Amino acid sequence: MAQLFAPGADALYRLALMTGLACLVAVPVVAAGIVRSSYVTGVGIAPAQPVPFSHKHHAGELGIDCRYCHTGVERLATAGIPPTHTCMTCHSQIWTGSDMLKPVRESYDEKKPLRWVRLNRLPDYVYYNHSVHVTKGIGCSTCHGDVTSMQMTYRANAFEMQFCLDCHRAPEKYVREPDQVWNMTWTPPADQATRGPELVARNHIRGGARLTECGICHR
Amino acid sequence: MSGPPDIAALRARLSGGDGPRFWRSLDAVADSAEFRAYLGAEFPAAARLAAAPGRRGFLKLMAASFALGGLTACGREDGRAYEVPYVDQPERILPGAALSYASCALFDGFANGILVTTRNGRPLKIEGNPDHPWSRGGTDVIGQASVLGLYDPFRSQAVQHLGRPDSWAGFRAAMLAQVPAWRAGGGAGVAVLTGPMTSPTVAAGLARLRAAYPDLRWYASAGASRDGLYEGARRAYGRPLETVPDFAAARVVVSLDGDCLDLGPGQVGLSRRWSDARRAAYADGRLLALHAAAPSPTLTSAKADHAVPVPAARLEALARDFLGFAEGGAMPTADDPAGRWFRRAAQALVEARGAGIVTAGLTGSPELHALVHRLNGALGNTGATLRHTEPAAGQGAGTLAELAEAMGRGAVTALVVLGANPVYEAPGALDFAARMARVPLKVHAGLYYDETGAHADWHLPLAHPLESWGDARSLDGTVGLIQPTVAPLYNGRTLPEMLAFLEGGETEAEDGLALLKRQWRRDGEDAAAFDARFDDALRAGFLPGSAAPTQAVALTGTASPAAPAAPDPSGLDVVFRPDPTLWDGTHADLAWLQELPKPLTKVVWENTVAVSPSLAERMGIATGDVVRIEADGRHVEGPAWITPGQAAETVTLGLGYGRDVPDHLSRGLGYDANALRPTGTPWHLTGARLTKTGARRMPVTTQDLGTMQGADIVRVQPVGGAPVGDPQGAPAPASFYPPPASQDRWVAAQWGMAIDLDACTGCNACVTACQAENNIPVVGREEVARGRWMGWLRVDRYYEGPLDAPATHFQPVPCMHCESAPCELGCPVEATLHDSEGLNLQVYNRCVGTRTCQSYCPYKVRRFNYLDYTGDLPPVRQQQNNPEVTVRARGVMEKCTYCIQRITAARIASAKDAHAPIPDGAVETACQGACPTRAISFGNVADAGARVSAAKRDPRNYALLGHLNTRPRTTYLAGLAPGPDAAPGPAPSGREG
Repeated sequence: MAQLFAPGADALYRLALMTGLACLVAVPVVAAGIVRSSYVTGVGIAPAQPVPFSHKHHAGELGIDCRYCHTGVERLATAGIPPTHTCMTCHSQIWTGSDMLKPVRESYDEKKPLRWVRLNRLPDYVYYNHSVHVTKGIGCSTCHGDVTSMQMTYRANAFEMQFCLDCHRAPEKYVREPDQVWNMTWTPPADQATRGPELVARNHIRGGARLTECGICHR
Repeated sequence: MSGPPDIAALRARLSGGDGPRFWRSLDAVADSAEFRAYLGAEFPAAARLAAAPGRRGFLKLMAASFALGGLTACGREDGRAYEVPYVDQPERILPGAALSYASCALFDGFANGILVTTRNGRPLKIEGNPDHPWSRGGTDVIGQASVLGLYDPFRSQAVQHLGRPDSWAGFRAAMLAQVPAWRAGGGAGVAVLTGPMTSPTVAAGLARLRAAYPDLRWYASAGASRDGLYEGARRAYGRPLETVPDFAAARVVVSLDGDCLDLGPGQVGLSRRWSDARRAAYADGRLLALHAAAPSPTLTSAKADHAVPVPAARLEALARDFLGFAEGGAMPTADDPAGRWFRRAAQALVEARGAGIVTAGLTGSPELHALVHRLNGALGNTGATLRHTEPAAGQGAGTLAELAEAMGRGAVTALVVLGANPVYEAPGALDFAARMARVPLKVHAGLYYDETGAHADWHLPLAHPLESWGDARSLDGTVGLIQPTVAPLYNGRTLPEMLAFLEGGETEAEDGLALLKRQWRRDGEDAAAFDARFDDALRAGFLPGSAAPTQAVALTGTASPAAPAAPDPSGLDVVFRPDPTLWDGTHADLAWLQELPKPLTKVVWENTVAVSPSLAERMGIATGDVVRIEADGRHVEGPAWITPGQAAETVTLGLGYGRDVPDHLSRGLGYDANALRPTGTPWHLTGARLTKTGARRMPVTTQDLGTMQGADIVRVQPVGGAPVGDPQGAPAPASFYPPPASQDRWVAAQWGMAIDLDACTGCNACVTACQAENNIPVVGREEVARGRWMGWLRVDRYYEGPLDAPATHFQPVPCMHCESAPCELGCPVEATLHDSEGLNLQVYNRCVGTRTCQSYCPYKVRRFNYLDYTGDLPPVRQQQNNPEVTVRARGVMEKCTYCIQRITAARIASAKDAHAPIPDGAVETACQGACPTRAISFGNVADAGARVSAAKRDPRNYALLGHLNTRPRTTYLAGLAPGPDAAPGPAPSGREG
C-alpha cells in the first residue's frame, strides 16, 4: 500500500495552518482597509457632473460667498443646491455661448432641473442641521474641506460616526469666531485652547456629555 | 375564549365583589387558565417563535445571524444618488422646511378648520386650526387620515368609459352631444345626485344648473343622513333647523341616544365645548353631569356619569315621560334601571330649568327629536343653553327613495352622481343597482372607482380636498375656505367645476378658484378690496363672522300622541350605527382607519354584530359566533360581539363594511349592513330574527394586547370626595437620576406629559395623528391577530361595575418615559437609554432586536418590527412619510418618542438665534395637537410656570403603576365621577383590579 502522506505533507499542513492564522489577522485588516478606502467612502473622488462646475474658480478665485448659492445654510437643516436660476443670474450675461454651460441653458429653457451627483450623504437615521452648526461657529471647511481649492468637487470626509463625535465630544477644538465660519482655509489659531472654551460659553454650546447623547442626531 | 362564556358566573363575579373593579374584557373577568396563559406568554407572536426551534435549530439560527450580520449594513439604492434642485425656486418653498396652509377637513360635507403641514410641496400632516371658531384646534380621525386619502393608491386615477380608460376630452365630447337634447327638454329626465354637502359654492352651482335646466331634478344621498334631525325640527318648529348646544351655560346634560362626543360632523366642536364646560365646573367644585340613555353603547354614553341601556323603541317614551314631568306631571315609579336613571335625570333637569340640555343624536327618529325640542322648550332651555340655526347642509333635494322610484318608472334618462355612492349606501330594499341599470346615461364622479362607478357608463375622478379650491360650512355655519396644498395628482376636478361644466355645456368653464371668488365677491365690491379680504380669509382658513345667526323659534302644534306598541314584541330590535372609525364607508380604503381599534370593542379591520350579555346568555352565543339577522326576507351575517352596556333585546349592526370593489383594500372586510336597512326608518328595525349559523369567525381585537398587571390603573375622582391622586410633595423615592427641578432650565428642559382622563373621550384622533406624524406602519389583520399592532399610543378602555350596564373609562397609554426605566436595564446593546432631558430614547441603528425591553416594560408600549412593514409601500404612498422621522426597518424596536423631532426643531429654533430656553407651548406633540378636548398637556416639568406643571399640580394627578417606582414622566389626571351624595343607587363595590 502506498504511503498515505507524501514527505511534503507536514510542510503543507504547516503552511495551511500558517495561512489560516494569517487570514485571521489579514481578513479583518483588509476588510477594515477596504471600508475606509476612498473606493467605498468616495472621499477624494470627484465624479462626473452634468456641468463641470468649479468651486475653485467660483468660490476661490472669484470669491463668491458660499451663501450666494447655498442659501439655506443659515436658516435650514439643508444648505441647499442652487436652482438653475441662480446660475443664470450671471450666466445670462457672461459666457453666454459657452459649450460647457449648455446643459445649464437647456435646463433653464426647458424647465428641466439639473441632476447633480450627490457627494455628501448621511444614513437615513441621522439628522443633521446646517443652520445650528454655522450659527454656533462651526465652519464649512470643518466638514467639507477647502472647497476653494477643488477644481471639481469631491467629498472631503467620510462622515462616519467617529467624525461627528470627534467634534461633539470636544466642540472647543473646532469652534470659530463668527467671521471665520466661511473661511475655507481656517486652521485653529495658536490660542484656540483659550479662545475655544470662551466661544463655547458665549454661544451656549452644550458640552460633550449632552452633545453625544443619541437623541441629538438620531430620532 | 372558545365556547359560550358563562354569563351568569361573570355577572355573579362582578356583582359579588370578588371580580376586578375595572375590567377590559369578559375573558379578563372570567380569569380562565387559558387567558392567564395568554397573558403569561407576554406576546402571542413571541410565544409562537419561542416554541418553534429546538436547541440545534436555535444554534443554527444564531450562527447564521452572526455570519450574515454584516449584510444589514449593506445599503440599497434609495433614490438619493442625485441632487435635483429646482429650475426656479418657488418663493415660499424652502427645501425641507415645513410650510402650513389653512384649509378645511370635510366630514360628510361639514368643515373642521385645519392647518396642512407641507414639506417640499407635499402635504404630510393635518393639524387643527386653533383660530377656527368651530373646531378650535381639534381634529378627528377622518381629518387626520385625510392626508392618507390624498396619497391613497386606491384612488381613482383616470376617466373611465364603460370600464375602460378614457379622457376628459372624451367625456366632454360625449356630454356636448347630449346638451342640445337637454336644453330642448329643459333638463327633463336629468337627475343630479349629490352626497352630503354644505358648500355655498356647490349650492350656487346647483342653483345655476337648475336655473339653466328648469326640469332637472336634484337628489341627495348620504350613508348617515341628517334628515331625521331636520325632520324633527320641522315637526316642532315648522322648518328644518340645526341645534347647537352651549355646554358652558349648562348645569346638566341629558342625552337620549345623543352623539355629541361620537364621531360625526359635530364631534370636534361639541366635545371641545363639553370638556371646557366640564373643566370649568370642576374648577367650581361642581360636576357637569352627563346622563345618557342609549340602546347601544356610544362614546357619549361611555363618558356619561349616569348611563343606562334602553331599547331604541323606548327612547320616545322616555322623552314623553320627561315632558310630562317637566310640565308638572307625576314622576313615573318604575323600579328598573331605566326608571331609576329617569328619576335622577328628570330631577336634575327640573332643578336646572333653563340651564339644562337634552340632546338626541343623528340616529334618533324625527319624533324623538321633535319631543326633545318640546322638552327643551318646556324646561326653558331653548334659547338659554340651546341655539337654533339654519341648517348648514343643503336643503330641498329629493331623497334616494324618490330617485329609485323615478328610475324604476323609467322617468330618468340621465343620472349624474357627484361625490356619492348610492349603489353601496342605498338600503337593500331599494334595489338601487337594478333600477339604475334602466337609466340610459349614467355618469359618476368620485374620489374612488366604487360600486356606483362600476355601474356607471362614465366614471370621472374627483379632486381630493387637499388639492382643490372650495368652501364648506361647519356645523355652526362658519364658512371655511379650502385651498390646494399640492397640484392635483390625477387631474381630478372639483364639484363646482363639474357643475359649471354641466351648466355651461359648450362654453369653457371657469376653474375652481374663479368660481370660489365669484361666490364670495359681494356685488359691486372693489376688486382690490375683495382680493385683500379673500387673501386674509385664505390665510385664516375661514370667513370671519360667517357663523349662522341664531334663529328665533316657536313651537308649533302639540306633541303627537304616543304610537302604539311595537307590533312584534317577540322579535329583536336592530339598530344601525355608522362605524366609529370608517363612518358610512366613504373612507373604507384608508388603511389607518381600518387598523384603528374601534373605541369600545377594540376590533380592527371589520364590523361586528353587537349583542347584549343577556341575549348571549339566552341564545348561547359566544363572541366570534357568526350569527344571521333576518328581517323582511333579507339577512346579513356577521360575527357576534358580546357588548357590555347593550340593551338586552337589541342588536347593533355597523355600517361602512361589506364593500365590493375589485382590487380595493376594503373588499371582503366585514358585512354590509345596508342590505338590511329599512327605507322609512334608516336607523332602526323591529321584529328581526337572530340565529346562530354554527360557523365561527373570531374578530381581531387589540383589546387584550398590552394588558397591564398592577393596582390602581384607572382612578376615579368623586367630585367633592377625598383626592385620589398621588400625594403631592411627598419625598420622591430614591433614583439614579438627578432630580429634574435641580437642573438649569437652559441646559435641559425636562419633558413630561399629563393626560386628563376626564377630558379623554376615546375618540382616537391622537392615535391617528401619531400614526401620521411618526410613520407608523399598517400591518394588516393577520399581523394584528398575532399581537403585532404597531401604534405607539393606544387608548385602553376599561369597564367598571355590572356586566349589563357598566361605567366606561378610557386611558391613552403612550411611552411613560420613566425616569428609572425598566426597559433600559434589559437592553444588551444600550439601544434604549436616557438623555439629560428625561427622554427615553430608542436608537434604531443600535437595536439588534432582542425584544428584552419589550418584556421588561410594565406598560407594554414597545412595538417590534417583526417584518419589513414599510419596504413595499407604493411610491405614491411613500410621499406621505414624514422626512423628519426615521422609517424603521425590520428587526428593530420602536415606541413613542414624545415627538423628539418636534422637540429638536424647537430646540434648534430657540438655540440658534436668541440662545433662549424653549418657551412653554413651543413643542406640541402630535397627539396633543390632535386632541379635540385638549386632554393632553406637554412641556417642561422643571418649569413651574409651564402648563404641564400646572396640570400635574391637580390633586387628581397620579402615576400609572407608580408603585413600581418607575417614576413615569407621563402622568394621569383621574376622571371625574359624581360625589358620594349624588349616587342614590348602590355604590359600586369590589376590590381594585
